[in-house]
Amino acid sequence: MIILENVEKSYDGTRVLNGIDLEVETGDFISIMGSSGSGKSTLLNLIGAMDLPESGSITVDGENIVSYTDEQLTLYRRKKIGFIFQFFNLFPNITVFENIQIPLLLNGIGDDRSVTEFISLVGLEGKEHAYPYQLSGGQQQRVAIARALIHNPDIVLADEPTGSLDSMNSESIMELITRLTDEMKKTVILVTHENSIAQQARRHVSIRDGVLYG
Amino acid sequence: MNFFKLARLFISRNIREEKFLTLLSVIGVALGIGLFIGVKVASDRAISSFESDIEGLNSGANYEISDTSGIDFSDRIYPMVASVQINSFPFLKAAAYLPGLRDTIDINGIYAVKSIRRVRGVNADLHDMESFYRTLNGILVTNDFAVRHAIKKDDTLRAFVYDREYTLQIAGLIESGSMPSNTAIMDIGNFQEYFGRAGFLSGIDLMTDAYTAGRIQKILPPALSTEKKKLLIENQKSMLASFRYNLQFVSLIAILVGVFLLYNTIFISVVKRRTEIGILRALGADKKTVVMLFVIHGILLGLVGSLFGLLLGQCAAYFSVMAVTKTISSMYSAISITDYLIGKNDVVSALVLGFCISLAASLVPSFEASRIRPNESAKAGTFEAGYKSRRKLFPLAGVILIIMGLAGAYIDYRAMPFSFPFLAYAGILLILLGFTLTAPLYFSTVLKMLKKPAAVFGVTATLAWGDMRGSTYRFSVALMSVAISTSLIIALFILIFSFRNSLKSWITRNIVSDIYIKPISCASNFCFFPLSDDISSVVKSFTEVKGIDRFRTLHLDFHGRKIVAGFGDIAAQMLYAPRNYDRDTEKRDGGLLRGQQVSISNYLSIKYGLKPGDRITLQTPGGPRSFTIYTTFSSYSTTSGFIYLDRKWLKKFWGLDDATQIAVYLNSGVDIDKFAAKLRDALSRRYSVEVMNNRELREKVLAIFNKSFAITYAIELISIIVSLIGVVNTLLALVLERKREISIIRYLGGSWEQIERMLVLSAGVVGISGIAMGALIGPIMSSIFIQVINKISFGWEIHLSIPAIYLTAVILILLLSTLAAGLIPARVARRTDPKRFISFE
Repeated sequence: MIILENVEKSYDGTRVLNGIDLEVETGDFISIMGSSGSGKSTLLNLIGAMDLPESGSITVDGENIVSYTDEQLTLYRRKKIGFIFQFFNLFPNITVFENIQIPLLLNGIGDDRSVTEFISLVGLEGKEHAYPYQLSGGQQQRVAIARALIHNPDIVLADEPTGSLDSMNSESIMELITRLTDEMKKTVILVTHENSIAQQARRHVSIRDGVLYG
Repeated sequence: MNFFKLARLFISRNIREEKFLTLLSVIGVALGIGLFIGVKVASDRAISSFESDIEGLNSGANYEISDTSGIDFSDRIYPMVASVQINSFPFLKAAAYLPGLRDTIDINGIYAVKSIRRVRGVNADLHDMESFYRTLNGILVTNDFAVRHAIKKDDTLRAFVYDREYTLQIAGLIESGSMPSNTAIMDIGNFQEYFGRAGFLSGIDLMTDAYTAGRIQKILPPALSTEKKKLLIENQKSMLASFRYNLQFVSLIAILVGVFLLYNTIFISVVKRRTEIGILRALGADKKTVVMLFVIHGILLGLVGSLFGLLLGQCAAYFSVMAVTKTISSMYSAISITDYLIGKNDVVSALVLGFCISLAASLVPSFEASRIRPNESAKAGTFEAGYKSRRKLFPLAGVILIIMGLAGAYIDYRAMPFSFPFLAYAGILLILLGFTLTAPLYFSTVLKMLKKPAAVFGVTATLAWGDMRGSTYRFSVALMSVAISTSLIIALFILIFSFRNSLKSWITRNIVSDIYIKPISCASNFCFFPLSDDISSVVKSFTEVKGIDRFRTLHLDFHGRKIVAGFGDIAAQMLYAPRNYDRDTEKRDGGLLRGQQVSISNYLSIKYGLKPGDRITLQTPGGPRSFTIYTTFSSYSTTSGFIYLDRKWLKKFWGLDDATQIAVYLNSGVDIDKFAAKLRDALSRRYSVEVMNNRELREKVLAIFNKSFAITYAIELISIIVSLIGVVNTLLALVLERKREISIIRYLGGSWEQIERMLVLSAGVVGISGIAMGALIGPIMSSIFIQVINKISFGWEIHLSIPAIYLTAVILILLLSTLAAGLIPARVARRTDPKRFISFE
């Protein structure tokens, strides 16, 4: 369970998040819709422990991560979080197999079989040894999804996962995210500016000028 | 399009964004240029010193009459010459060692009445010329010398001239101008009287034309020759040429490392900016514009590096001059260099060199940049992939160049088609270029081989290997700078170690007597002014003395060049030194006692294609004499060619029976140190001679050797620093380019320590690969230096010895240094704010 209480965050004197309160149950699939500059990426960074709020608390499974040291935050991300980005953010110089394997290696797990299984799960059989530049956008995002889930995190944070894709790919990616996270019982927080994407989540909130609505 | 505005925008922004990278490149270039300039200044000043010495004090004199043996001749020649050419200026010369000032001066006795006004820097009206003429031991010294040693007019100086002690009085000061500052002037009459050289001259300067010079030559005795000063200077320069080019070549290799560094910087800039280049091209910039942008960037870095290099070069010049002075003084003749300042020529050389190396370093990456198509920028990784597919021929070309380089060196080794080892020098450069072209394939192979063993490092290895595989070309440039500096270090280590061992063997064979005596005023290995005959008598009067070998050196004209002839008392050596006697030397000495035979140094043998059994002609006062070559030998005491003969020929053909150096053999059981002190005491009452025991002389020879190689140690150190800068440079660029990937690792839960380990591991792989390649190239280079270059240049026979323990230690230090080089980029990586580089929208 994720609980944000009265979270505030500013950058360079500009208030980006203004007293955010949010509760996300385990296994929930929530979408946060907002326009550019509304603070949704900042919210994701805070939940993903890439940044800390100025005030308020962020409790994940009973632990207030705001009080964590850098090492603890790193460990938290390594074990509990899976990120999916708009621009995929794969490592360009390693293969599909190795890209997916990275989270396992970071956690000290050398299980090649699960990587192969995930490659199949995301429909990329035969692409194990390809490099990201050899894949289409949709294929790259599938790799990113596999990478986000391979280490069995509790929480998946997806930022505009279809933002760089055409409508057909967007549909298939959303279907993949929804199906896999459902099967694996993951808590998913997805940010988007598209209503059609946001509606595919089970719960919807919106953010405007750093304030949550809904 | 306003190109300059575009260039300013592009280049200044590049430099601003990559401050540290830029700084590293500038430092790398500066170190290489500084070293080159330091070596250049030292050799240029040495040549100037010789030139000034030959030009003499008489400005405008273009010919010189001297004895071909380099000894003083009768002053009765002068009136004969003056009757043909009124503009003739006789002089006497001697070196004086001033123990109080720990310096030497060259005393020039000139016909002051006739030539004082011609002497450069002398304003006769301003000096107290009466004092100068009237004071028997009065000398004029330069202002520079006076300031340096805080002396003034009327001061007296204790001086060792020839083999005696004298007192000199400062009669006045003169401006040095273009004269060496250690020049002193004396009236020739006073010189002859005070130093007991009445009736003698060292030479006569002439202002004349070729026809008159020819007429004068006809009236001179055969022992004297009239030489054009320009020719004498050229001969002297060519003797120094090999010494100079050797040093400069080695410093050029150090610059090569800097070239790789600069190449890397420009290449990294191209790779980082491929998107911008694509956009520029899409906006209508042509290929030429793109090339010019990066070439100008490179040239700017090179020129800034050159300017800093000049500052470093000034510091390097000071130390180089000291090292070079010592070596040249012992191997050729005494020189004194007091001008360490870099001149206009040196500034121009540095800027031209900086321009050339930056152009060479930036052309290839600039042309690569111009080939980037607008759509290529979109997909990361396409650049290196595209590069790989276009460069399959590189390894083949590399192998061909290596074979060509080896072939060139072999041709010089076997056939020596030129008197200068051009092919060997070119061979080394071709070999280095060849290995450079094979580096990407080599690096890929190393990555494949090390992938499994590296798996123990887990995710660190996966990410590091990914980076290195994806940037093979870039990493192989850093690899080559490590390889070249490693090979240079290994080559120089082997050369110095081998040389030192060969020198020690030579010392054992040749420095066999118990005590050596020579004039204090003589700084060179060979002295040319004879010791007083009494000295031999004094030495022989001691009961501790078993026997002496009176050794005489002369200059000889050989094929138009001045070489050294040494006349030893071979019978005495064979009689008195049996226990230390080397078999080869015994055989040689036996041969030289029989028949009219000589032994020549390898330098002469190689240069003139001479071998045992050949006949050579030597000019003597009595005319040309033919000798048979009995053996050849390696001489480390001079590089200008050395002929060794028995003393009987000195008397028979040169009419001389004196000695310039004396070797003393003691009876067994005599305490050498005690006797040396006793002898020193006995001789110092009347003579100024240096008395050294065998151990002291051996130490002195080795000390000169060590000092000579001081410059090469500096070269090695600088090339290590520059190659480490290259490793830091590559990894730093990687960090700057991979900020997004570093950010992803942080988002995925990777720690800073893991990122640090990734960079250190990459540095380690580059280090191991580079060092391994360098360990292959190094012995090849040293073999070429030893067997070809040094042999042809100096005639030195050096036996190859590998200092295994030292080399292992050096390699370990290099490896640890490259690992440490990975820590700097790791520190920079920590400053990455991952949120900035992960584009959420």
